[in-house]
Amino acid sequence: MSLSTLAASQWILSRLTPPAQAEALIGDLLEERRLRLQAGSHVSVAGWYWRQLASSVPVLLWASMRRGVWLVSVVTAVASLIAAVLMMHVLQSAMWPMTTSSFVHDVMMLLSFAAAVAACGYVAASIRLGAARLLAFLVFAAVCRETTLPGGALWYKGLFLVLGPLATIAGAALSGRRRRVRL
Amino acid sequence: MPRGDFLGSLEQIVMLAVMRLGADAYGMTVRREIEARTGREISIGAVYATLERLEAKGYVSSFTGEPTAERGGRAKRHFEIEAAGHQALNASQNALKNMSEGLSRRWKRA
Repeated sequence: MSLSTLAASQWILSRLTPPAQAEALIGDLLEERRLRLQAGSHVSVAGWYWRQLASSVPVLLWASMRRGVWLVSVVTAVASLIAAVLMMHVLQSAMWPMTTSSFVHDVMMLLSFAAAVAACGYVAASIRLGAARLLAFLVFAAVCRETTLPGGALWYKGLFLVLGPLATIAGAALSGRRRRVRL
Repeated sequence: MPRGDFLGSLEQIVMLAVMRLGADAYGMTVRREIEARTGREISIGAVYATLERLEAKGYVSSFTGEPTAERGGRAKRHFEIEAAGHQALNASQNALKNMSEGLSRRWKRA
Protein backbone atom coordinates (compact mmCIF):
# COMPACT_ATOMS: atom_id res chain seq x y z
CA MET A 1 0.00 0.00 0.00
CA SER A 2 1.54 3.29 -1.11
CA LEU A 3 1.90 6.35 1.11
CA SER A 4 -0.39 8.37 -1.14
CA THR A 5 -3.13 5.69 -0.83
CA LEU A 6 -2.77 5.78 2.95
CA ALA A 7 -2.92 9.58 2.94
CA ALA A 8 -6.02 9.54 0.72
CA SER A 9 -7.83 7.09 3.00
CA GLN A 10 -6.91 9.20 6.03
CA TRP A 11 -8.18 12.30 4.27
CA ILE A 12 -11.56 10.60 3.73
CA LEU A 13 -11.79 9.64 7.41
CA SER A 14 -10.80 13.11 8.56
CA ARG A 15 -13.63 14.62 6.48
CA LEU A 16 -16.21 12.45 8.22
CA THR A 17 -15.21 12.90 11.86
CA PRO A 18 -14.53 15.85 14.18
CA PRO A 19 -10.77 16.74 14.27
CA ALA A 20 -10.01 15.25 17.73
CA GLN A 21 -11.82 12.01 16.91
CA ALA A 22 -10.23 11.79 13.46
CA GLU A 23 -6.74 11.99 14.95
CA ALA A 24 -7.46 9.17 17.42
CA LEU A 25 -9.24 7.02 14.82
CA ILE A 26 -6.49 7.33 12.20
CA GLY A 27 -3.87 6.71 14.91
CA ASP A 28 -5.70 3.51 15.94
CA LEU A 29 -5.84 2.30 12.35
CA LEU A 30 -2.13 2.99 11.84
CA GLU A 31 -1.19 1.30 15.12
CA GLU A 32 -3.16 -1.85 14.35
CA ARG A 33 -1.88 -1.89 10.76
CA ARG A 34 1.68 -1.78 12.10
CA LEU A 35 0.93 -4.64 14.54
CA ARG A 36 -0.59 -6.73 11.77
CA LEU A 37 2.33 -6.07 9.43
CA GLN A 38 4.65 -7.67 12.03
CA ALA A 39 2.61 -10.89 11.89
CA GLY A 40 1.04 -11.04 8.41
CA SER A 41 1.77 -10.36 4.76
CA HIS A 42 1.43 -6.95 3.12
CA VAL A 43 -1.44 -8.22 0.95
CA SER A 44 -3.54 -9.53 3.84
CA VAL A 45 -2.91 -6.36 5.87
CA ALA A 46 -3.87 -4.19 2.90
CA GLY A 47 -7.07 -6.25 2.58
CA TRP A 48 -7.83 -5.76 6.28
CA TYR A 49 -7.15 -2.02 6.01
CA TRP A 50 -9.51 -1.57 3.04
CA ARG A 51 -12.20 -3.68 4.71
CA GLN A 52 -11.93 -1.44 7.80
CA LEU A 53 -12.15 1.67 5.66
CA ALA A 54 -15.06 0.39 3.55
CA SER A 55 -17.10 -0.63 6.60
CA SER A 56 -16.21 2.51 8.58
CA VAL A 57 -17.14 5.10 5.96
CA PRO A 58 -20.93 4.43 5.88
CA VAL A 59 -21.13 4.35 9.70
CA LEU A 60 -19.13 7.57 10.08
CA LEU A 61 -21.10 9.22 7.29
CA TRP A 62 -24.33 8.41 9.11
CA ALA A 63 -22.87 9.67 12.41
CA SER A 64 -21.80 12.95 10.79
CA MET A 65 -25.29 13.34 9.33
CA ARG A 66 -26.75 12.84 12.80
CA ARG A 67 -24.44 15.57 14.08
CA GLY A 68 -26.02 17.84 11.46
CA VAL A 69 -22.74 18.86 9.87
CA TRP A 70 -23.67 17.45 6.49
CA LEU A 71 -27.24 18.64 6.63
CA VAL A 72 -26.18 22.31 6.87
CA SER A 73 -23.74 21.85 3.98
CA VAL A 74 -26.32 20.07 1.79
CA VAL A 75 -29.05 22.64 2.48
CA THR A 76 -26.63 25.54 1.85
CA ALA A 77 -25.35 23.99 -1.39
CA VAL A 78 -28.84 23.25 -2.76
CA ALA A 79 -30.12 26.72 -1.79
CA SER A 80 -27.04 28.28 -3.45
CA LEU A 81 -27.67 26.31 -6.64
CA ILE A 82 -31.28 27.51 -6.78
CA ALA A 83 -30.12 31.08 -6.11
CA ALA A 84 -27.49 30.77 -8.89
CA VAL A 85 -30.12 29.62 -11.42
CA LEU A 86 -32.44 32.51 -10.47
CA MET A 87 -29.60 35.05 -10.59
CA MET A 88 -28.49 33.77 -14.01
CA HIS A 89 -32.00 34.22 -15.40
CA VAL A 90 -32.25 37.75 -13.98
CA LEU A 91 -28.86 38.71 -15.48
CA GLN A 92 -29.74 37.20 -18.84
CA SER A 93 -33.09 38.92 -19.09
CA ALA A 94 -31.44 42.24 -18.19
CA MET A 95 -28.73 41.85 -20.84
CA TRP A 96 -30.81 40.21 -23.58
CA PRO A 97 -32.31 43.40 -25.14
CA MET A 98 -28.83 44.95 -25.46
CA THR A 99 -27.97 43.09 -28.68
CA THR A 100 -29.42 40.89 -31.43
CA SER A 101 -26.20 39.06 -32.29
CA SER A 102 -26.38 35.34 -31.39
CA PHE A 103 -22.64 35.23 -30.69
CA VAL A 104 -22.93 38.06 -28.16
CA HIS A 105 -25.95 36.30 -26.65
CA ASP A 106 -23.89 33.15 -26.20
CA VAL A 107 -21.08 35.10 -24.56
CA MET A 108 -23.58 36.84 -22.28
CA MET A 109 -25.05 33.49 -21.31
CA LEU A 110 -21.59 32.24 -20.36
CA LEU A 111 -20.71 35.37 -18.41
CA SER A 112 -23.99 35.54 -16.51
CA PHE A 113 -23.65 31.85 -15.67
CA ALA A 114 -20.08 32.31 -14.40
CA ALA A 115 -20.98 35.44 -12.42
CA ALA A 116 -24.03 33.85 -10.78
CA VAL A 117 -22.21 30.65 -9.87
CA ALA A 118 -19.16 32.54 -8.54
CA ALA A 119 -21.36 34.79 -6.39
CA CYS A 120 -23.22 31.81 -4.96
CA GLY A 121 -19.92 29.96 -4.40
CA TYR A 122 -18.73 32.98 -2.44
CA VAL A 123 -21.86 33.03 -0.26
CA ALA A 124 -21.86 29.21 0.24
CA ALA A 125 -18.18 29.24 1.29
CA SER A 126 -18.78 32.04 3.78
CA ILE A 127 -21.46 29.86 5.44
CA ARG A 128 -19.54 26.58 5.21
CA LEU A 129 -16.56 25.65 3.04
CA GLY A 130 -17.93 22.14 2.48
CA ALA A 131 -21.09 23.66 1.01
CA ALA A 132 -19.07 25.45 -1.68
CA ARG A 133 -17.34 22.18 -2.63
CA LEU A 134 -20.69 20.45 -2.83
CA LEU A 135 -22.05 23.34 -4.88
CA ALA A 136 -19.18 22.93 -7.37
CA PHE A 137 -20.11 19.26 -7.72
CA LEU A 138 -23.82 20.05 -8.10
CA VAL A 139 -23.08 22.68 -10.77
CA PHE A 140 -20.91 20.17 -12.62
CA ALA A 141 -23.68 17.52 -12.40
CA ALA A 142 -26.35 19.99 -13.55
CA VAL A 143 -24.25 21.11 -16.53
CA CYS A 144 -23.48 17.47 -17.39
CA ARG A 145 -27.22 16.83 -17.52
CA GLU A 146 -27.70 19.87 -19.77
CA THR A 147 -24.98 18.72 -22.17
CA THR A 148 -26.85 15.48 -22.83
CA LEU A 149 -29.78 17.49 -24.25
CA PRO A 150 -29.80 17.93 -28.05
CA GLY A 151 -28.72 21.23 -29.66
CA GLY A 152 -25.81 23.60 -29.13
CA ALA A 153 -22.17 23.31 -30.15
CA LEU A 154 -19.99 20.87 -28.25
CA TRP A 155 -17.26 23.46 -27.53
CA TYR A 156 -19.91 25.76 -26.06
CA LYS A 157 -21.27 23.02 -23.76
CA GLY A 158 -17.70 22.11 -22.82
CA LEU A 159 -17.02 25.70 -21.77
CA PHE A 160 -19.99 25.58 -19.38
CA LEU A 161 -18.73 22.28 -18.01
CA VAL A 162 -15.31 23.75 -17.19
CA LEU A 163 -16.44 27.23 -16.23
CA GLY A 164 -19.18 26.10 -13.78
CA PRO A 165 -17.03 24.33 -11.15
CA LEU A 166 -14.10 26.74 -11.74
CA ALA A 167 -16.25 29.83 -11.09
CA THR A 168 -17.68 28.22 -7.93
CA ILE A 169 -14.20 27.42 -6.63
CA ALA A 170 -13.00 30.94 -7.53
CA GLY A 171 -15.91 32.44 -5.58
CA ALA A 172 -15.16 30.18 -2.61
CA ALA A 173 -11.45 31.06 -2.76
CA LEU A 174 -12.30 34.76 -2.77
CA SER A 175 -14.46 34.28 0.32
CA GLY A 176 -11.64 32.39 2.09
CA ARG A 177 -9.11 35.09 1.18
CA ARG A 178 -11.36 37.85 2.49
CA ARG A 179 -11.82 35.97 5.77
CA ARG A 180 -8.05 35.56 6.17
CA VAL A 181 -7.47 39.26 5.50
CA ARG A 182 -10.10 40.17 8.12
CA LEU A 183 -8.36 37.94 10.67
CA MET B 1 -36.69 3.81 34.20
CA PRO B 2 -37.60 6.34 31.51
CA ARG B 3 -38.24 5.13 27.98
CA GLY B 4 -35.20 5.13 25.70
CA ASP B 5 -32.68 4.44 28.46
CA PHE B 6 -32.06 0.82 27.44
CA LEU B 7 -28.84 0.30 25.59
CA GLY B 8 -28.61 -1.32 22.15
CA SER B 9 -26.68 -4.58 21.81
CA LEU B 10 -23.61 -2.93 20.25
CA GLU B 11 -23.68 -0.21 22.91
CA GLN B 12 -23.67 -2.87 25.62
CA ILE B 13 -20.85 -4.79 23.95
CA VAL B 14 -18.73 -1.64 23.56
CA MET B 15 -19.36 -0.60 27.18
CA LEU B 16 -18.45 -4.06 28.46
CA ALA B 17 -15.24 -3.96 26.42
CA VAL B 18 -14.36 -0.54 27.86
CA MET B 19 -15.05 -1.91 31.35
CA ARG B 20 -12.86 -4.98 30.76
CA LEU B 21 -9.95 -2.95 29.40
CA GLY B 22 -9.97 -0.37 32.18
CA ALA B 23 -7.16 2.17 31.78
CA ASP B 24 -6.14 0.64 28.43
CA ALA B 25 -9.51 1.30 26.75
CA TYR B 26 -9.08 3.19 23.51
CA GLY B 27 -10.43 2.67 19.97
CA MET B 28 -8.04 -0.05 18.79
CA THR B 29 -8.06 -2.10 21.99
CA VAL B 30 -11.86 -1.88 22.25
CA ARG B 31 -12.21 -3.09 18.66
CA ARG B 32 -9.77 -5.98 19.22
CA GLU B 33 -11.39 -6.97 22.51
CA ILE B 34 -14.82 -7.19 20.84
CA GLU B 35 -13.43 -9.25 17.97
CA ALA B 36 -11.56 -11.59 20.33
CA ARG B 37 -14.51 -12.18 22.68
CA THR B 38 -17.46 -12.21 20.27
CA GLY B 39 -15.80 -13.47 17.09
CA ARG B 40 -17.63 -10.66 15.34
CA GLU B 41 -15.62 -8.46 12.98
CA ILE B 42 -16.29 -4.83 13.77
CA SER B 43 -15.01 -1.70 12.08
CA ILE B 44 -13.12 1.01 13.91
CA GLY B 45 -15.70 3.47 12.55
CA ALA B 46 -18.54 1.55 14.25
CA VAL B 47 -16.61 1.55 17.54
CA TYR B 48 -16.05 5.32 17.40
CA ALA B 49 -19.62 6.08 16.29
CA THR B 50 -20.96 4.02 19.23
CA LEU B 51 -18.56 5.61 21.71
CA GLU B 52 -19.52 9.08 20.44
CA ARG B 53 -23.21 8.24 20.98
CA LEU B 54 -22.50 6.90 24.49
CA GLU B 55 -20.46 9.98 25.34
CA ALA B 56 -23.29 12.25 24.17
CA LYS B 57 -25.63 10.37 26.53
CA GLY B 58 -23.15 10.84 29.38
CA TYR B 59 -22.48 7.11 29.77
CA VAL B 60 -18.77 7.28 28.93
CA SER B 61 -16.18 10.04 29.05
CA SER B 62 -12.93 10.41 27.17
CA PHE B 63 -9.57 12.08 27.50
CA THR B 64 -6.66 12.51 25.11
CA GLY B 65 -3.41 10.66 25.78
CA GLU B 66 0.11 11.34 24.60
CA PRO B 67 0.97 11.06 20.88
CA THR B 68 3.21 8.07 20.03
CA ALA B 69 5.51 7.29 17.09
CA GLU B 70 3.83 3.98 16.19
CA ARG B 71 0.61 5.91 15.64
CA GLY B 72 2.25 8.38 13.26
CA GLY B 73 2.49 10.96 16.05
CA ARG B 74 -1.23 10.82 16.78
CA ALA B 75 -2.66 10.81 20.28
CA LYS B 76 -4.87 8.07 21.75
CA ARG B 77 -8.34 8.82 23.02
CA HIS B 78 -8.99 6.87 26.21
CA PHE B 79 -12.50 6.03 27.37
CA GLU B 80 -13.97 5.25 30.78
CA ILE B 81 -17.45 4.39 32.04
CA GLU B 82 -19.33 7.02 34.03
CA ALA B 83 -21.75 6.32 36.90
CA ALA B 84 -24.74 6.90 34.59
CA GLY B 85 -23.21 4.36 32.21
CA HIS B 86 -22.97 1.75 34.97
CA GLN B 87 -26.64 2.32 35.81
CA ALA B 88 -27.76 2.09 32.17
CA LEU B 89 -25.73 -1.06 31.64
CA ASN B 90 -27.16 -2.65 34.80
CA ALA B 91 -30.70 -1.76 33.76
CA SER B 92 -30.24 -3.18 30.26
CA GLN B 93 -28.61 -6.38 31.52
CA ASN B 94 -31.33 -6.84 34.18
CA ALA B 95 -34.09 -6.28 31.63
CA LEU B 96 -32.58 -8.94 29.39
CA LYS B 97 -32.12 -11.33 32.33
CA ASN B 98 -35.71 -10.83 33.48
CA MET B 99 -37.08 -11.34 29.99
CA SER B 100 -35.12 -14.54 29.42
CA GLU B 101 -35.82 -15.99 32.91
CA GLY B 102 -37.53 -19.39 32.75
CA LEU B 103 -37.10 -19.68 29.00
CA SER B 104 -34.00 -21.85 29.05
CA ARG B 105 -35.94 -25.08 28.32
CA ARG B 106 -37.79 -23.56 25.36
CA TRP B 107 -34.51 -22.12 24.16
CA LYS B 108 -32.85 -25.52 24.10
CA ARG B 109 -35.78 -27.05 22.17
CA ALA B 110 -35.66 -24.37 19.45
